[in-house]
Formats: sequence, structure tokens, C-alpha cells
Amino acid sequence: MLRLSLVNPLRTTYKRCLAGQSLQANVADSEYSAEPAYPEIQDPSFKARKQRDASEWHEEIRKVPTVEEKLIKINMPRYYGYKVVDFNDSKIPYNALPLTQHYTRTVLEDLPQATGSGSQAVKEEGDKPSEDAGFKAVREDVIEALEFAHDYYKHLEKLPNAGQPSAVEQERTLTQIIVEQLNRALLQALSEQHKHLDEVEVDYNPRHEAFWAVGGVDPPKNVQNSKKGREWQKEDANQSVDRLVQYTGAPYLSLRHRKQLLPWKTPAESEDIELSKQVPRFKHDPRTLGYSTKHQHATNVPGYWPKGNEQNFGLLSFQSRAHFQLRPKSFGDRDLQEALHSLAIKSSYAWLLAQANYNGFNTYNELTYPMNTQTVITNGREWSFYEYQLNTLLLHGNHQDDNPRVNFCRGTKPLPLYAEISTNGKCVDFNDATLRQLLNFYANVPSIQRTNEELQPYVASDISAYENTEQRDFIAKTFKYLASNRPRHLEIPEFYLWEKLYKIDNNNRAMEPKRRFFEREVNPWRRTLDQHDKVYVPRAIRGKSRENRYKKTYYP
Amino acid sequence: MSTRWYPIYQRGNPQLRVFLPNFWMKLIRPTEEQPPNVVTFSVSMEMTKYDVRSYLEKIYKLPVVDVRTRIALGETKKDQTYGYITKKDDVKLAYVTLPREESFVFPDFFSEKAEKQAKEEKSLDDSKEGFRRFLDRNKKRPGTPGWFSI
Repeated sequence: MLRLSLVNPLRTTYKRCLAGQSLQANVADSEYSAEPAYPEIQDPSFKARKQRDASEWHEEIRKVPTVEEKLIKINMPRYYGYKVVDFNDSKIPYNALPLTQHYTRTVLEDLPQATGSGSQAVKEEGDKPSEDAGFKAVREDVIEALEFAHDYYKHLEKLPNAGQPSAVEQERTLTQIIVEQLNRALLQALSEQHKHLDEVEVDYNPRHEAFWAVGGVDPPKNVQNSKKGREWQKEDANQSVDRLVQYTGAPYLSLRHRKQLLPWKTPAESEDIELSKQVPRFKHDPRTLGYSTKHQHATNVPGYWPKGNEQNFGLLSFQSRAHFQLRPKSFGDRDLQEALHSLAIKSSYAWLLAQANYNGFNTYNELTYPMNTQTVITNGREWSFYEYQLNTLLLHGNHQDDNPRVNFCRGTKPLPLYAEISTNGKCVDFNDATLRQLLNFYANVPSIQRTNEELQPYVASDISAYENTEQRDFIAKTFKYLASNRPRHLEIPEFYLWEKLYKIDNNNRAMEPKRRFFEREVNPWRRTLDQHDKVYVPRAIRGKSRENRYKKTYYP
Repeated sequence: MSTRWYPIYQRGNPQLRVFLPNFWMKLIRPTEEQPPNVVTFSVSMEMTKYDVRSYLEKIYKLPVVDVRTRIALGETKKDQTYGYITKKDDVKLAYVTLPREESFVFPDFFSEKAEKQAKEEKSLDDSKEGFRRFLDRNKKRPGTPGWFSI
């Protein structure tokens, strides 16, 4: 082979010279170039190949044209869902803040209380008297709304079929009423002065779900052991692995707007490799802290469907802290404060990540512009205010060390809105500072509007643009099914305890035919999304041809 | 706190004087890496997480923040002669979280012992090696006493 390859070009040049052609002209149009072009030299090691495969897959996801197909594509490797860390808004274990900061790459700061963040503060200095009159009117409305909410809750309790709800449910019901009433009162009072509130979309108890991958976590024992068992993988046995995280939450209320909030950190401040190294790391398995794992499809839901309407960017969300009542007293006050921080961080990150997903980004494809939101955690009486800026989504693999970008969160301590509601239904010790902070959040005008190309650089098309009706239906149906969080129609195969004892752990039935999945080395969790029987099309519909007996699938 | 009957008095000796409660806790080495403020115990199957907490707080005056428990399946083993399967008892494990400032390292009692043993083995090997060299040297003059050559 080697000799031939040397001889061949010589022979062709010789023939051309014989034919009277010049040497120079022919080199270009022949299959041999003057300068040799070698393919890129690639690292053939196992680790490098795995990394290359992963980045190729991430590139494939980026190239998928529509948002829905991207979200399906992420789910393609698993039929029964990924094994994910259950990150929800109703369970925060002791000392959860370092883990939350690591899993969201967030730097925590204090929210400057006096200035707030919006035009409100500036205006207050400009024309004080009229502003004060406006504030007084809002204050009265808010107090009235509070009193009404408590009155209504008392009425609900007296209903004959009220039952005996737990303390957590009681707080949840009361706070839901308070938040809805306050939101109604504030929108009504402020919308004249702040025109952006006219266009706001309000979601009541929306679904906020997000899925992402986090690197830099120590491998579980079974992974370590399996690698230690292979000679060529022994060195990598303790290498950190990616953990998949699924957040599930339902805030009391969230407001959306078609424009984005102004970022409060410049790109230069957000890209700081030194700062990113200071973000706390939690290398242990999250189960050692009290988190659990489950199998679930990757879902990204910011409270609406993609292309539902124009209001695609979060303005404000009200999170519940009712489950804090279930935390033991022994956790202490400091941990309560940290739990509030971590709830704010994870809920804000997850909501923004879900919104980013609807703009074509995901945990493997980096954001091209920052996204901001505001979060309020409340139990009706006490209010904590947080602002969040999402700069990066890349947390997996090496990005944990290499990615210079970090996300930012800044917040306040819980501030009381009022002391109590007296027995005759009057609000006592109303706190103006807390209301002003809340007003600042409402008055924060979302002003950034981007062109479509800038907003969705990785989205090339929309499923409504697909000509094939069958394809459109298939994608819509599959996407909605994945987002529904319903269990699979076919349950995951199970092995019974006697099989574990007599077949798996101890080989006591060697002579029996091996028919079960675990005897044939089939791992049901490794089944991919498209490994299922296709839908049969009856003869009455398809005609006599045998070709289209099964419906086509259009997995990305 | 015990499910056992207190023994009815019988005349004569020896008397049963030691009476053990059901509740016991055994500190064990964690199999997986954990945060430094988490301590693992193997506890009596009857104990709940509230029992574990009050045991540590009341008897040992430890600041317990949180307790999580689980029951681990006992190992099974096949009999080498007859092929039947035996199973060890299940154990209840308690993961006790201490305040974040505290840290607990499982004591390493046997590292010193292992070191000592290694030292002894080394000296034994050295003397063996010396004897072998002596034999090599005296291969051609058997029966020479050790003090003979320089």
C-alpha cells in the first residue's frame, strides 16, 4: 500500500508531462495538493474519546432546529428517564447552601436595601410630595388587601367542609390569598404610573421545572468499584463525575413580561476566573446531605408552553416557605437564613434556566446574554427579597473548573410586613420599608428587547413551519408527553427478592433457562427513548400496501 | 427502656446482676465519603430516629442537629458444602448530623499496630537475608564458624 501511494502521484505527473502539460497547473486540480493537508491529530485515549463524544452530542443538540425537538433530544438517551437528584422547593436539608451554590455556580451578595433597583428610587428623590401621596394611597390599598385576606381566610376556616389542615397547609392557603390580594392591589395601584405592569402576565401556582448537569461531584461507590475492577480504568476510579439535577417547584404566583430586566452585573464582572474558584464546592454525594434521587425525564417548564404568548421573561416570583415549619428547631436561626438563601438561589436559577430552554439554550449550550429575575420568599408576614442574574449554564464536566462565568444572587434578610392582625381584623405595626422594597420590585421596568436572531441564536425554525402534519403532531405529542411527568405505560421491569437471593447474589439455579432481563444482561434503565414498538396503522386507513404498516417516528 | 423481662428473683447464687437494655448504638466507619459533621452509627433495630437523638443528647450530651435512619439488607452467603443460602441480619444505620462547625474523624486504632508489625517483619527479613549471604559466602568451606572470616 505504502509503495503504491508513493508511486501513483509520480506516475500521474509523468503522464501529464508526456502529454505536454505544465507541472504547476496540474497540481491544483489533481487530487493531490501541493501542501499536504493532514487531519487534526486527536487524542486516542478513552477519556478524550468520551469527552469528544459528549461534545459532539452537545453540538448535535445545538443544531436541532426547534425548541421542542431540542427538549426531546436531551431525553433521547433514556426511555425510563434519567437518575436525577430531586431538587425541589419543599425540602432543604441542614447546611444546604454550599451545595446549592456549587450546583448553580452562584455568588451570593447582600441586596442594597435603601436604593433598591429601579426607577422608583430615582423618582422618589425627584418629586417627593406627589410620590409620598402615591405611596400613601398604595399603602392603604395594601393594608386593606391584607385585612381582607385574613378575613377571607377566617371565613374559609369556618366552612363546614373545611377539615383540619396541617400547619403547613394552613400557611400555604393563607399566604396564597395574601399574595394574590397584594398582587391585585399593587397592579391596580401602580399600573397607571408604571405602564409595563399593564402588559404583565400573571401565573397562579405555575409549574417551574428545570433540568441540568453538574460536574465536580465525587463518584458513587458502585462507579468507583466497577472502575477499580478494570485494570485500564483504575486510575480514573476517583475522578469526579456529572450529577443530573431536576428542580420541581410551584410558587404562589409569578409575573412575566415580554421584555427582559436590566442586568445589574457587567459582563466584565461576571467573567472572573478567580471569583468562580471561590464559589463553594460540595464534592460529596448529595444523598449524604439528605437529598434523594429519582428517575425522571428531563423537563424544563417555566410555567407555560413554548410560543404560548409573548410574555417569555420572568419579572417576579413569590415562593413559599411553608415547609420551613417541618424543619426541626435544632437546625437553628443561622441555618434558617441560609435555607432561605438556598431556596431563592435554586428557584431563581431553575426558573431562568427553564426560560433559557425555551430560547434554545440548555445545560449543554451556553447562554449568549444574561437573564435576570426577582424572587420573593414569603409566609405572608415576613418577606425576603432576592435578585438573580443568570450568566452561565455550563456547569458540567470540566466547565466546573474552566468556566470563568458565575451567576449572581443578592438578597435581604426576612423583613416583616406587619406585626399581626388584631382580633378585630385590623393590621398592626405596618412596615413601610418592606412595602417600599416590594414596590421597587414591581417598579423595576423590564426594558431589554432583543432581535429574534440575538434572542434565539440556536433556534432555526418553529414546528409550525414543518410542512408534514404527521411530523408536527408527533413532535407536539412526544414533547407534551415528556413534560407531563407521567410514568411510562410499560412499567420498569422488576426483579423479585427471591431472584436477588438465589439468582443474582448467589448462583443457586444454574441449570434453569436464563430468560429474565438481568440474566441476559439487559439494563432496562439504558433503554433509549426510541426503543419501542411503532404504532400500527390499520389496513382500513393505509389501504392494501404493506409498506406503511407502521407509523413513522420523527425523533430528533 | 427494654422489651426484656426483668428476671424474677431466684434464691441462691450466682445472681443475674447485669441487665442490658435493648437500646445500643455502635459507631461504624462510613463506607462512602461524607461531610465531616456526619457520624454513622449502627443502632438497635427498635430505635427510631427520635430515640437516637435523645440517646446522644441525654446520655452523651452531644449537640445533635439531625438524624436520618435506614435499614440495610444483610449479606447472603452460600454454604460451601451443602449449597443452601444463609443471610445475616439486617442492620439499622443512623446518620447523625452535628452542627456544621463540628467534625468527626473515625479513630484509626490499628495503624500503629500495622506499622509495628511491618517493622518486625522487616527486621526478620533483614536477618534472613544476612543468613543467606553468610551461607553464600561459606559455600566452598562448609562447617566454618561465623567468627572465622573478616
